Amino acid sequence: MNYPFGRARARWTPYLLLLPGIFFYLLISLGPSLATAVYSFTDATGIKGAPIHWIGLDNYREFLFMGQASRDNYDALWRTLIFCFFVTTIQFVLGLIVALLVNQRLKGVNFFRTIYFMPVILGVVIQGLMWSLFLYPLGGPVARLLAALGLHSEFFGGQPTEAFAWVIVVQIWANLGITMMIFISGLQTIPEELYEAARIDGANSWNVFRNVVWPLLTPVANTNLLLNIIGSLQAWQLFFVLLGYRNGTQVLGYLIFAQGFGQTSGSVTSAFRQGYAAAASIVLFFLVLVIGMTVQTLLRRREERILG
Amino acid sequence: MNATMAPASTARKPAPPKPINWGHIISYVVLGIFAIIYLGPLLMLVNTSLKTMPDFMKNATALPTTLNFKNFAEAWTRANFPRYLTNTVIYTATATIIYLVMAVFVAFPISRGYVKGARFLLTLFVIALFLPVALIPQFQLMLALGLYNNPIGYIMLFLVNPIGVVILVNYIRTLPKELDEAAAMDGCGYFRFVTTIVFPLIQPAVATVAVLHAIGIWNELILPTIYLTNKNYYPITRGMIVFQGVYGSNWPTLAAAVLIMTLPMVIIFLVLQRYIVSGLTQGAVKG
Repeated sequence: MNYPFGRARARWTPYLLLLPGIFFYLLISLGPSLATAVYSFTDATGIKGAPIHWIGLDNYREFLFMGQASRDNYDALWRTLIFCFFVTTIQFVLGLIVALLVNQRLKGVNFFRTIYFMPVILGVVIQGLMWSLFLYPLGGPVARLLAALGLHSEFFGGQPTEAFAWVIVVQIWANLGITMMIFISGLQTIPEELYEAARIDGANSWNVFRNVVWPLLTPVANTNLLLNIIGSLQAWQLFFVLLGYRNGTQVLGYLIFAQGFGQTSGSVTSAFRQGYAAAASIVLFFLVLVIGMTVQTLLRRREERILG
Repeated sequence: MNATMAPASTARKPAPPKPINWGHIISYVVLGIFAIIYLGPLLMLVNTSLKTMPDFMKNATALPTTLNFKNFAEAWTRANFPRYLTNTVIYTATATIIYLVMAVFVAFPISRGYVKGARFLLTLFVIALFLPVALIPQFQLMLALGLYNNPIGYIMLFLVNPIGVVILVNYIRTLPKELDEAAAMDGCGYFRFVTTIVFPLIQPAVATVAVLHAIGIWNELILPTIYLTNKNYYPITRGMIVFQGVYGSNWPTLAAAVLIMTLPMVIIFLVLQRYIVSGLTQGAVKG
């Protein structure tokens, strides 16, 4: 579009005013993000003034092919995938169910919608501390409920697998609201007449869902799936608040932080290994890229098949 | 899945006498179970914060025998809340305001195509969402700039939010372009046009982005853990984790502290719900 606000010197005003935003974006976000690849080939530490050497592929070699440490890394990678799988599927299904429920013309649905969304704004610290108390093992509410059912859990203090499973629960609890809201926004674009028409044709609620609602929800379902996959592959902050860097529970995102900024435990103990952490970031990036692109392609194909 | 999940099953109601609508009943039961899971942790927090330590040890889930508000006073002073809360407010307000002003001046010309390579610039903001985490080089940069453990440096980290720019660009597209021409014809300059005409017109998008950005800063835990070592600079999130480290087993006091931190968020959420929901839903990519 033609610029209406004058010529010559005046033509530079938008560029000038755009500059600060672009500058900070490049400086704080895009630049560092790209530079991660460069740092992954160095032995950078987090110590000011310490020399940085180019060490080629050593970080990757160590990360992927060096004895116990890399076995731990593969465990973390595998755990990241498991976390992603459970969080994505459960959050997707539950998000869809509650979205359908609160999208009905029922009394009080706004109240339910509000409380399901609430944890999203609370942030990991509050989410984590709330659940530490809710899952208090010595006679907390969930412990008592489980006891009544003849079950027992040490929750976050239990075996690594058990603690890990509870983090999945909290992660889903915390983010279900977003999935729900995205589904609701899709449901609200479906015209009322379609329901009416289907029902006049004698379709029951399940048929209406199967043949009308589900196909028309394809775009938002895809969005949700992709967001959940990418989000959960990178999520680790609840582990930080709920468990700390505990052996048998680490995921890749946490590993990057722990290697880069200390807090390491397990077989690799040296802290502030920022070059190594950068290499781990790149590994995670490729994991997200490969899984994200594969899913994206599959989803697009399915969308074309359904919506033409 | 069962049949009751389909929306608008209400329309199936036949003429009176009304039969029992099982669809509704099952809906409410499921919604109720979820409500318990969602409100349970909050209620447990409130309950615990009003108890004494011996009460809590005796029976963690029982209601308090006497209301004990001492926990709140203790948490407020011991957790150094006034300090941390002030810090959080300063960080959040400063970074959000500066970011928004810059973001509007980035989004407007991109949306209108008033700068060369507008499409490329927009792509630049979108790809950020998929690139590797910037954590390590960002740290090296801040270290080199001497901005480590420095509130100014900490605020600087929050002057960026690509999704916010994308949201603004999309919203500005809905403003008629004739507006620009008419204003220019009346002798209105670019700067004055953006600040006095565009800005008020895009209030809903600005509010959405502001809320999205502010909540992110308010809740941030990792960046203060990395960048701020001086206790006087701690925001409330970091302060809270430190407090937990010290008072970890004293749940009544800890619960009071968490509640003090939670209540403002819940109130703000209830008041600004509309903007918060749209902001976080659109900004969900951040994950």
